Amino acid sequence: MITIKSLSHDFVIGKKGRQTIIPVLRDISFTVEKGEIVTIVGRSGSGKSTLLNLVSGFIHPKEGEIWISGEKVSDLNETKFADFRINNLGFIFQSFQLIPSMTAFQNVELPLILKGINEKERKVQTEQMLQKVGLLEYQDHYPGELSGGQQQRVSIARALIVNPPIILADEPTGSLDSETEEELLKFIKELNRDLGITFLIITHDDKVANIGNRKIELKDGRIAEEVLV
Amino acid sequence: MKLRDQFRFVRQNMKKNRTRVFMTILATAMGCAFLIVLASVGFGLQKSVVKEITERRVITQIDVHGKETKEQGMFRPLNDKDIQIFEELKDVKSVTRRKMLQQEGTYSIGKYQEGTPTFVTNFPAEIKAGFELSEGTFPKSKYEVAVGYNFLTNLADKDAGEDLYDEKGQVKAEYLYKGKLRGKEIKLTIRQFKAGKQIEKTIPLKVVGISTKPTKEWAQDSSVFISDEMLTEIERFTGTPKGYMLDANTNKVPDDLEVNKNAYDDVKIYAKNMESVQRISDQLKEKNYATYSVVNELKEVNMVFMIAKAGLIFIGTIAILIASIGIYNTMTMAVTERAPDIGIMKAIGASPKTIKRIFLLESSYIGLIGALIGTVVSYGISYTVNFAIPLIIKQAFGQETDLNLIFSDIPPILPIICIVICYSVTIISGLRPAQRATKVDVLKAMRREV
Repeated sequence: MITIKSLSHDFVIGKKGRQTIIPVLRDISFTVEKGEIVTIVGRSGSGKSTLLNLVSGFIHPKEGEIWISGEKVSDLNETKFADFRINNLGFIFQSFQLIPSMTAFQNVELPLILKGINEKERKVQTEQMLQKVGLLEYQDHYPGELSGGQQQRVSIARALIVNPPIILADEPTGSLDSETEEELLKFIKELNRDLGITFLIITHDDKVANIGNRKIELKDGRIAEEVLV
Repeated sequence: MKLRDQFRFVRQNMKKNRTRVFMTILATAMGCAFLIVLASVGFGLQKSVVKEITERRVITQIDVHGKETKEQGMFRPLNDKDIQIFEELKDVKSVTRRKMLQQEGTYSIGKYQEGTPTFVTNFPAEIKAGFELSEGTFPKSKYEVAVGYNFLTNLADKDAGEDLYDEKGQVKAEYLYKGKLRGKEIKLTIRQFKAGKQIEKTIPLKVVGISTKPTKEWAQDSSVFISDEMLTEIERFTGTPKGYMLDANTNKVPDDLEVNKNAYDDVKIYAKNMESVQRISDQLKEKNYATYSVVNELKEVNMVFMIAKAGLIFIGTIAILIASIGIYNTMTMAVTERAPDIGIMKAIGASPKTIKRIFLLESSYIGLIGALIGTVVSYGISYTVNFAIPLIIKQAFGQETDLNLIFSDIPPILPIICIVICYSVTIISGLRPAQRATKVDVLKAMRREV
C-alpha cells in the first residue's frame, strides 16, 4: 500500500552563500501493507514528522521514492498530488486543523465540495459521517465551540468522508486528555478492523505506538528498529 | 469544485470582513460611475449635435456645388450635361436644379410690395424630390408663378416707412397684405443700368400655386418660382445672363457668369435611401464633383466625438484603475488572513488551480458588484444632470437652454464597456494575490506561520 524506497531528505537553512544543510532523513525504506496500522516513533527531531510530510506530499523528497497504492507519488507535481490526495489519503492532525469560520458540518463537507459532489449527496454523506463520530447534534457548532475531543472527531470525520484507503495521522492524541485518547484509539482500531483502512501514525506516545501491527523507531533520521507489536 | 460552491465560498469569505469589502465595492462603484457619467457627456452631446444636423437637413440630400476643372482647386458651375450624369447614377431619386435671378426682384400687389429671391426650377424634378403645393397648381405658362409658403410674411405696405417693423424686427401686422394670394396678379419689377441710368420694367404675373409650409418651424420660404420663358424675357430686358444687374460704373458682366450663363446655381441630388447617400457621394467625388451631404457631416462629427468619447473613457478608466488598487489591497489582505485556511484546504486536497479560481472569482465578484452599482448610480446621475442643468443655467444666467440639448446620454453599450473594463481590471488586480494564494506553504500555514 505504501512503499518507501531509500528516502533521504535534508533542510537547507540560512541565506544564500551562508547556507547550512541539515540532514533529516537518511536512506529510509519500509513498506506498509494494506489494512495495517504502522506507527512511527522516535524522539523529537528524529525526522518522523518530516517522514509523514513527505508521504503526504507537503514537501518533496530530495532522494528516494514514495509509492502509494501503486502510484509513484514522489514524482507527482503539486496539482496531481492534490488530486491524488483527495481520493486516496485522509489526514488527522495533532492540532485538528479545522477551519474556524466553518461549522462542524461545513468542515466535514469540505473534501466532498473539493471533489465536486453535488449538494444533496453531500448533505446525506456529511450527516451520516457526523452521526458515525457522534457529533450530529453539534453540526452547526464552530470549532471554537467544541472540546478538543470533539474537534478531533470532526477532523476524523473530515478525513473519512471521502472513504480514503489510507489515513495519515500526525500525533493524533497529542492534544487530547487520556479519556478522549482512549476513545480515539478505540475508534481507529474499529475503522481499521471494520473498513480495512490502512493507518500510518506518527507518535511519541507509547500507548498510541502500540495500537498498530508494527512499530518503526526513527533515530537521527534513520530506522533504528522495526518491531511487530 | 463546482462553480456554485466556489460562489458560496466567495460569499462566505466576503462576509468575514464586510466593511473592507464594502469599501472596496464602493470605490469600484465610484470609479465605474465616474467612467460612465464622464463618457455619457460625450454620448449626450454627440446625440444632440447629430439630432440638430439631421433635423435641419434632409438626410438623403446631396448638394453638388460644382465640378473641379483641369486647373486644380477651381470649380465650374453645373450644366444640363452634369444633371444628366447625376440622373443616370444608381439609386438617385431626383436631381433638382435651380437658376437664380441675379437681382432681387420686387413683387407688388397694389401698395404692398416685397423683395425676394426668384428662381427658375424644374418642377417635375422638384415634385419627385418632395416639393408640394398647399394650394393651387404648378405654373404652366410664361406668366404664371408659384410662391413660397411664407411669401406673405414680408409683403407689406411700401408707404409704412420706418414704422414698418416692430421691436423684434418683424413687419407689423397692420402693414401686411391680408388679401387672397392665389389667382392674384402680382407685378415683378426688374431693374437695370443703361447709359448710367437705372431703368425699370414691370411684368404682370399670376400666382397659381403656393408651396406647403416648411416642415421645420424655423424655416422660411418666400421664394418665387418663375418659368424659363420669363427668365428669357427678363434677360432680354437686362441684356445680361440671368437678369444680372450691372454696376452703374463698370457696366460689365463678370466673366464666369458670361461663360456659364446656362449653368445652374443650386443643384441637389436626392438619393432613394440613406444607405446609398455615401455611395453616390463617393461616385461624384471620383468624378471630381464637389459635394456635401449630411452623411459627410455626420461622418466628421462622429469621428470627432469618437475621439472625444475614447478620451473620456480613458480618463474614466483611470478612476477604475485607482479603484483596482483597493481590490488588490483587499485581496492581498484576504490571502494573508486566510493563509491558514488555504493551507488546510490544500492539505486535504484542494489543487492550486482551485485556490486561484476562488480568489479570482472573489476579486471579479467585487468588481462586478461595483460595476453594477456604479451603472445604476450613473443612470441616476445622468437623469439628474439632464433635469437639473437646464434649471441651473436658467437660474444662473436667466436663459432657457435648447430643449433638445442632451447633457448626458447612456446608451446600452456604455455600461457594457464599463463592465468589461472593470471586470478586466479586477481580474488583473486579483491575479497576483490569487497567485500568491496558490504558493501558500501548507506546513507553514498550518503552523500559523504565514
